[in-house]
Amino acid sequence: MFLASCGRAPNPNETVLTFSGSALGAEGTLVAKQLKRFMELNPGVRVELQRTPDDASQRHQLYVQWLNARVGNPSILQLDVVWTPEFAAAGWVLPLDKYAPPRAEFFPATISANTWAGKLYALPWFADVGLLYRRTDLVPNEPKTLEEMVAQARAAMSRRGGPKYGIVSQGARYEGLITGFVEYLGAFGGRIIDDKGEVVVNRPEAVRALEFMRDELYKSQVAPLDVLTWHEEEARFAFQNGNAVFMRNWPYPVAAMSDTAQSKVAGKFTVSPMPASGTAPNGHSTAALGGAQLAINAYTDHPDAAYKLIAYLTAPEQMLERAVAVGQYPTRPALYSDTRMRGAIGIPLENARRAIESATPRPVTPIYTELSEILQIELHRALVRQVEPTEALNSAAARINALIERTGMRKLMTAGTHTE
Amino acid sequence: MRKVSRLGHEARLGWSLVAPALSVIALIAIFPLGWTFWESLHLHELRMPWLGKPFVGLANYIEIAKDPRFWAALGHTAFFTVVSISLELMIGLFLALAMNRVFRGRGFVRAAVLVPWAIPTVVAALLWRFIFESQGGIANALLVKAGFLQEPMVWFIQTSTAWVPVILADVWKTTPFVALLLLAGLQNIDLTLYEAAAVDGANAWWQLRHITLPLLKPAILVTLIFRTLDGFRVFDLIYVLTGGGPGTSTEPVALYTFNALLQNLRFGYGSALSVVIFAITFGLALFYVRGLGVRLGGDES
Repeated sequence: MFLASCGRAPNPNETVLTFSGSALGAEGTLVAKQLKRFMELNPGVRVELQRTPDDASQRHQLYVQWLNARVGNPSILQLDVVWTPEFAAAGWVLPLDKYAPPRAEFFPATISANTWAGKLYALPWFADVGLLYRRTDLVPNEPKTLEEMVAQARAAMSRRGGPKYGIVSQGARYEGLITGFVEYLGAFGGRIIDDKGEVVVNRPEAVRALEFMRDELYKSQVAPLDVLTWHEEEARFAFQNGNAVFMRNWPYPVAAMSDTAQSKVAGKFTVSPMPASGTAPNGHSTAALGGAQLAINAYTDHPDAAYKLIAYLTAPEQMLERAVAVGQYPTRPALYSDTRMRGAIGIPLENARRAIESATPRPVTPIYTELSEILQIELHRALVRQVEPTEALNSAAARINALIERTGMRKLMTAGTHTE
Repeated sequence: MRKVSRLGHEARLGWSLVAPALSVIALIAIFPLGWTFWESLHLHELRMPWLGKPFVGLANYIEIAKDPRFWAALGHTAFFTVVSISLELMIGLFLALAMNRVFRGRGFVRAAVLVPWAIPTVVAALLWRFIFESQGGIANALLVKAGFLQEPMVWFIQTSTAWVPVILADVWKTTPFVALLLLAGLQNIDLTLYEAAAVDGANAWWQLRHITLPLLKPAILVTLIFRTLDGFRVFDLIYVLTGGGPGTSTEPVALYTFNALLQNLRFGYGSALSVVIFAITFGLALFYVRGLGVRLGGDES
């Protein structure tokens, strides 16, 4: 249980921090190593590792229960990118501004995702980003628009011996559907909530984005209907077995798909950012942003020591070490031109950096989880053709507005400065 | 006077003897129920502490009454319960009648029939999901080969077809249980009745309609109580198979409640939903027990 504390007698003068974060396999070894170094640099501080479930929603549930009971452990919380505003608004994590964190050194999107009511509540530890995987043997050139991507997929599919699927992605009714939608939405210049806090998810741009997603299934038929029940792994299997031209997914499959022992596409694929629509003047290439953040538990007795540890783990050296050891993407743009990063993440660094630069946080709001549930249901209803896209998005907007009223968010949002 | 006081004494002794049992029941059944009800009268959102925990009276219940998703979920639950139980009763009766005959290996067959019932629901659900999932799945392959389908289909994206694996899985898993309950009922029927009927020239169909079914009624009603209450609380099977989708068109009330309570951590609203489910299942149980009681009385007279 307490990996980092083995074999030491308790010392009353010691500051004891508890750290909870992904700590399985290679990641666990890395975390233990970095914590040990931190303790050597900071005598008098002892860091204990506290196991929490690896599954995000289970970890979330556990944190919420502990924090409702005002428990000060773990002193450092690992937050999913969409949790920070919720924890900040609830007063469960401390603002970091008084420590003058080096905001400018991180990708701007990763900072705005962790900002609530003008204050920064967590530092980005590593980034996850939506990527477009492409079979380079079938489609040599990166598509510049969504429309070109569909045309390329069709052409590759109709070739003799071509893959049976054009574009595979995550279309089941769960959070993954929202990340994909956010990317198409940005490609058409739409948003879910605008800067003034207005719900704009039923505006024409959003309707066109959803129509485009639906047309991929039923009109151009580049996406198989199966994707409406798929999560990340089903999409990976299809692409890895050579059955798809394009795939929308996170960075994690790169390693397995580059392994010739299990992959039919090793050496035959690359990644690039999702393109924008060629028909939308305000559209821009958009990637959904994921990843982990570190924040200080508001009930800890040692906030200053906790910040020291967060600053240490998010410093360039530790981040670089993490990228090399487990392939997780640094949240600092400077590292992408570091020669030591070369080969660390298995894809061209330049493409990864471009994808993170195009990343957009999902709505930065404390009520994100319920907002997302509403959208998941309505998007899925439109994509399985139970309702028309316009109707689905109107209904989503009405229900999100009702949610905002019910939770008192309207007042809270005008008090803050940041909404998305 | 004396008699009364002795009765009073006995009553007191009686109460003191059942007191431990009663306090356990109070602790594990009545107290949580009361707490859930109290919780349901509050606005209590675990992830929104800024709202506090104000007393809101029946506001949560009013929200439920106005929520189309709740009414839809109630409809899905009723649909699932009625369809799956009807099938289970019919097939179960057939199996029970077959197993009630004397033949070699009867003991083995009776044990074998119970295998699906012994498999944990989540495992069974994953199994059926695997069968129906993906266009290259087993169900599609068999149906195309047999000529029932022109081409493979995606079962989980249309409401009508998404119900097929759900109902099939439940029928597959629970029919053995139904068959066993009915078999127990069949074995209580006096065989001389059949002999007498046969002497009077009654054929097998007549015997089934006028001897077997009427005398099996108590067993059928017990089965119905069990299965209706189970059906009404269906959760894991649908959670694994469809997740309530497509959209929310196969979502049962238990899944909706789980979502409000444990995903969204809306303790007030979720508690109100739990109370509503409790009231409905309690009402159903009461209805059946009363119904059962009346029939039993009628049989005796």
